[in-house]
Amino acid sequence: MRSPLIGATLRQRRRALGIAQAALAAQLGISASYLNLIESDKRNIAGALLKRVADALGFTLDEIDGAAERRLVADLGELCGEPLLADLGLEEAGAQALAGRQRDWGRALVRLHRAWLDRGQAVSALSDRLHQDPFLGDAVHSLLTQVTAIRSSAEILQTGEGLDPARRERFVAIVDEQSARLAEVARSLAAFFDKDAAGTRSVTPADEVDDFIVDLDNHFPPLEQAAAAFRADAAIDGDCSEAGLVDYLRREHGVEVVLRPVQELDPAGVRHLVSFDASASTLVIAEEAVPATRRFELVRLACELHGQGRAVQDLLAEAPQLTTDEARERARRALSSYLAAAVLLPYDAFLAAARELRYDVDRLVQRFGASFEQVCHRLVTLRRPGASGIPFALMRVDAAGFTSKRFPLPRLALPRHGPACPMWAVYQALHVPGTVVRQLVEFPDGQRLLFIARTVEKSRPAFLLPRRLQSIMLACDALHADQTVYATGLDLSSSGPAVPVGPSCRLCVRRDCVYRAEEPIVGR
Amino acid sequence: MGARVLIAEDEPNIVESLSFVLEREGFSVHAVFDGEAALRELRASAPDLMILDLMLPKMNGFEVLKAAKSDPELSSVPVIVLTAKGQAQDRRMVDEIGAEGFMTKPFSNREIVERVRELAGR
Repeated sequence: MRSPLIGATLRQRRRALGIAQAALAAQLGISASYLNLIESDKRNIAGALLKRVADALGFTLDEIDGAAERRLVADLGELCGEPLLADLGLEEAGAQALAGRQRDWGRALVRLHRAWLDRGQAVSALSDRLHQDPFLGDAVHSLLTQVTAIRSSAEILQTGEGLDPARRERFVAIVDEQSARLAEVARSLAAFFDKDAAGTRSVTPADEVDDFIVDLDNHFPPLEQAAAAFRADAAIDGDCSEAGLVDYLRREHGVEVVLRPVQELDPAGVRHLVSFDASASTLVIAEEAVPATRRFELVRLACELHGQGRAVQDLLAEAPQLTTDEARERARRALSSYLAAAVLLPYDAFLAAARELRYDVDRLVQRFGASFEQVCHRLVTLRRPGASGIPFALMRVDAAGFTSKRFPLPRLALPRHGPACPMWAVYQALHVPGTVVRQLVEFPDGQRLLFIARTVEKSRPAFLLPRRLQSIMLACDALHADQTVYATGLDLSSSGPAVPVGPSCRLCVRRDCVYRAEEPIVGR
Repeated sequence: MGARVLIAEDEPNIVESLSFVLEREGFSVHAVFDGEAALRELRASAPDLMILDLMLPKMNGFEVLKAAKSDPELSSVPVIVLTAKGQAQDRRMVDEIGAEGFMTKPFSNREIVERVRELAGR
């Protein structure tokens, strides 16, 4: 396919660089009139000449052969399908002309369009949260209860069997009474939806990954199998030592592992503690990385090389929840972490130890040489049917309250955007770094949960920079609390003392709470 | 004397109609309206079966079920759990604790009578 409007692009760049047509032609060894034909898109240009022009004008071939432009045209094409702009009758041909002649204006439009879509998605995700409103749960419960009473009485009346006149009258009265209550609930539901007419369901890439993991109960049997296969093939000893992993990578995959100061991997020193250069077969790990992190990253790479990432790819291929490349990349990262954890903390051994040690995270850390966060994370994945641990939710926040990791439970919605209730242990733990905070909490609907939280400190890039604390919280239903060491000394009966909490101020009905920071947007 | 059924349900009209159909079938029925009373009655009268609503005041149905199933003297009493909301989640939770029957509202009289007959062994 001929690239669109290369000539115009060349002319624009040449003029921007202040090079005369004749001068460029001379440099390229062609006539000025031939260059003029090329710039007017009356002659095609390709091969060696195209490469020389690109070099002379400081373009990459990708830019000049139109690949970048084709992407831009495709991106601009999305605007043609944008309902908001439908009345403008935008056509694809116009997008091509704009991309060729006014590339930066084209890019600006695409960037604004993307940002606009993102904002829309964030708004929709927020309105999704409204649907976790306790009012709705109560209303549905009430509705089904009324319907049950009506249905049961109606069936008795219909058969008439064993009914004397007084009984008959009584059941007619029940139908009447329950119908009136049913109508009341239905009216309040209608009023609720009038007030909160929400947009369509739309989510961000992070939300898509959440949905994908939660839909599968955060348990991935193919990855558990891949982890077992890796341990067997790599003949990894019981505790998966760092030296053994380094040796395995060198022996089986020719990969050298080197330690370097973190600044060499990532000048900002905030995000990346490892970097793998596939062409040089070298894995660079920051000297600052703690042993548990080093081991984790060694296993992550070893697993990727061992199965060419097939187990993860297969799962991604069957994930309809993931609709964008960004979501798939996030999910790939999450699944490769899962796989590494499954190798380091093998399912059966870890579950047995968790039960034996009554889910004492610190003791599991000692036994498996893993980090606090890795152990918490693994506990959440013990969901194999027939051999499952306690169902836990997990949440990780930073000091600004930003939630950077969340695995909810069916009965515990965790915030996607914005903070939860300030009373939650995950925030309280930030006041006492390094100390385990446990809480028996009660939600407005009477539901009780056990919260366990502790901060973990991420390595900081330099002495003078602030500490980087994150708080990790596990949560389980109070019904399971007695299986954990954290319930020791707590009164778990439903009349025992519990910290009154809510989902978040905006969704909480405790109007008299002294910790309230915002007015609720739902209520009765 | 028919098998003895304990109903723990806080909606009086449901209790009334359930009692009627079960008594008509020859069962002897006793009803309580909160979770604490359910556990107390379970211990005191050792019924042949309990019908247990999950959303009960004072002590919810999950707690009652858990207490009953972890008590060797009560664990053999079959329990039919009634639920009205978040059915899939409730189901998972109930399965983890262990109940003999699980019915979602609105159920029909015939369904529940059949289930009671089956589990109470009459």
